[in-house]
Amino acid sequence: MTATKRIYLFGYGKFGRSIAEELAEHEAEVVLIESKESHFHEARKLGKFQRTLLMDVTDDDALGELPVRMDDQLVCVMDDDHLNVFLVLSLRALFPESKILAISDSIHATRKLKMAGANKVIDLYSISATRIHNILNKPIATRFLEGFLEAEHEYSFREIVIPEGSFLHGKKLEEVDFRRYGVIFVGMIDVELGNSFIFVTTGLEHKIDTGDIIVCIGHDEDLDRFEHEIVPSGEEPQ
Amino acid sequence: MAKGLKKRIESWVIHWAIRLHRSSSYRHARKVIRDLLEDPKNPYKRFFDSFIIFLILSSVFILIWEVKHPVPKWLDYYDIYFVSLVFLIEYILRLWISSDLSGELVEEYERAVAVGREFRLWPALGRGVKKKLAYMVTPAAIIDLLAILPAYRPLRVLRIFVLFRFLKLLRYTRSINQFVEVLATKRFELLTLLGLLFFVTLTGAIAIYVLEDMHNPNINNLFEAIYWSLVTITTVGYGDIAPVSEMGRLIAMIIILLGVAMISFATSVIVSAFSEKLHELKEERIVERINRTAEFLIICGYGQMTKMFFRQAEAKRYNYIILDKDPQRVQEAIHDGYDAIVDDASRHTTLSRFNIKGSKVTVLCMSHDDVENIYITLNAKSIDPRIRVIARASTPKIVKKYERAGADHVLLPNQAASTMMVFAILKPIMYKAIHAIFTGQNVALLDEIQVHEHSSLIGVSVGAIDFRAYHLILLGVQKHREGRFLFNPDDSVILEEGDILLVMGQKASTSYFRESSCLDEKRCAR
Repeated sequence: MTATKRIYLFGYGKFGRSIAEELAEHEAEVVLIESKESHFHEARKLGKFQRTLLMDVTDDDALGELPVRMDDQLVCVMDDDHLNVFLVLSLRALFPESKILAISDSIHATRKLKMAGANKVIDLYSISATRIHNILNKPIATRFLEGFLEAEHEYSFREIVIPEGSFLHGKKLEEVDFRRYGVIFVGMIDVELGNSFIFVTTGLEHKIDTGDIIVCIGHDEDLDRFEHEIVPSGEEPQ
Repeated sequence: MAKGLKKRIESWVIHWAIRLHRSSSYRHARKVIRDLLEDPKNPYKRFFDSFIIFLILSSVFILIWEVKHPVPKWLDYYDIYFVSLVFLIEYILRLWISSDLSGELVEEYERAVAVGREFRLWPALGRGVKKKLAYMVTPAAIIDLLAILPAYRPLRVLRIFVLFRFLKLLRYTRSINQFVEVLATKRFELLTLLGLLFFVTLTGAIAIYVLEDMHNPNINNLFEAIYWSLVTITTVGYGDIAPVSEMGRLIAMIIILLGVAMISFATSVIVSAFSEKLHELKEERIVERINRTAEFLIICGYGQMTKMFFRQAEAKRYNYIILDKDPQRVQEAIHDGYDAIVDDASRHTTLSRFNIKGSKVTVLCMSHDDVENIYITLNAKSIDPRIRVIARASTPKIVKKYERAGADHVLLPNQAASTMMVFAILKPIMYKAIHAIFTGQNVALLDEIQVHEHSSLIGVSVGAIDFRAYHLILLGVQKHREGRFLFNPDDSVILEEGDILLVMGQKASTSYFRESSCLDEKRCAR
């Protein structure tokens, strides 16, 4: 669903490097834009990305020539905070419809990036500070969260689309015993409400329909099995 | 005959010394007393100090009250017997722990035996007693002794020694101690000034005595002249004695001028001593206060990470102290309302100041410099491996080094942010959920619920609890006995005391669940 969208990644520095590589691993289409020559050559040498461009990101004319489509994502992860804010501002003016994401690595930049027009700002310090609080107060929650982040993760999140003819169709949420399948139902995505995610903890009441997207946590194999089982009978595994 | 008796006494004394020295209960008692009297980190010392201060104040109050009012008998008895007895016991205990007499005797004896020399008791005993005497003549010990004296009723004059009880407060109130300490740093200046004062007073006194002895009816001897001179030089000027001749007035004018100069000089010396020390004193107070808490954080570096850490709501519940080498940053932290001191956490002496044995200490290395963070980690772990270290690392490559240095948790802010970014790009809808969980937002707060002894959850199976009714999601259970985390546990899992439930939900839901699972409200205030 998301793989066909193109990702414009601005910056191949301390964040850009790992983000670019991970995106490439997920076979996303990445266009890399870097203003520093040494970084540009490095990225080019790696050769994993669809396109690698050397460009002065403060130059609006050059930016305007990028073939950005409406549902492309623009990701600003320049090393320099000021440059990052500036870039977000330019991009917002040039591509008012596109989604802009940015990393903030200073407390002061987060609000500025939002004001400049970024749709999502990831605040480096806020994430890490929360982790420290968790380590100090909630050792078990910490270990649980680490279970998500590690490379050989124990549990993962999965979005599951209710297929046509599934036995879940027409059932109320509270009637379904997700735990029997070894998965935990966390919430669902409301397509009508602009693809927003609703946690079950908000007291969600809903009747499941075909095409709904539910979100579960579980071990990968349990999630696989669950996904198999909810498709119409006859194809059940084992 | 006499020689035999002497020998017997000698062997009896050394026998007892050895016995005491080897007795573990004797040593233990000694240590307990010493801790109580002298160790500022001892939690009971505060109670003991408050008790003594109360005795002192009540005793002085009785002295004042007695001047005009009759005092009930029981209060008098309290003052004479109880207070004095406590002070006597305290004096004896302090004398006891001031030096280790039996230990020294034994040491001497063993040394003599080891080299095959004949052991002579009296010189060794003499040395030990001398040490005790040396303690007895220290100002503090003399005050302690004098403070006991008012108990001796036949001599009414001794009542005034109750004031020495006031002086005893010196030992128990830190601020006075610190005042004296601060003044001690300016000993040279103050002594010089005192010498000068003495010299000028005496000169003025002799001059007025020689010049006015015949004319002034108030000055009849040198003592009166000195009295006049001191009253004038300190600008007190009672006026009971005043110069009558012109020469006398001239002298008065000169010593008044000198007096003003000297007093302002003395004031400036004391003020400068304080302004130099005030900073240090404040820091010491902060360190002392934190050392009394059972669990605290030492946060190294006041940068963006630390600021963000404090911005989050949970930060309020910690006891903490911020260390930073850079005075400017510390100033900033203090300005922002946090307890911070200027100190270098990579130095051994810095971390040793903290009560590492008595409290649970966690060191947070928040600097963005890996070299410094690793150094601090090593420093903390070398002082005591029990110190928990949470360190921030810049790249995944360096994590191994942190682990080798002994860090308990290593954070990778850059990597965490990058991972989140990838999530946001590839799974934009899920990102919101994950972000909410990771940043602990209200809607999806991860929380731990302890099954404690007063919980109604003991013995209940997981399946029997209707988490959905509470709007909670049960993610897992940490089994206390097996020491294992069960993700998404079976309905049949039975909860036992000490287990911890990991749930996700709104804060209000978790608190409500916690309250309603508690049988004894007072005990579950956590």
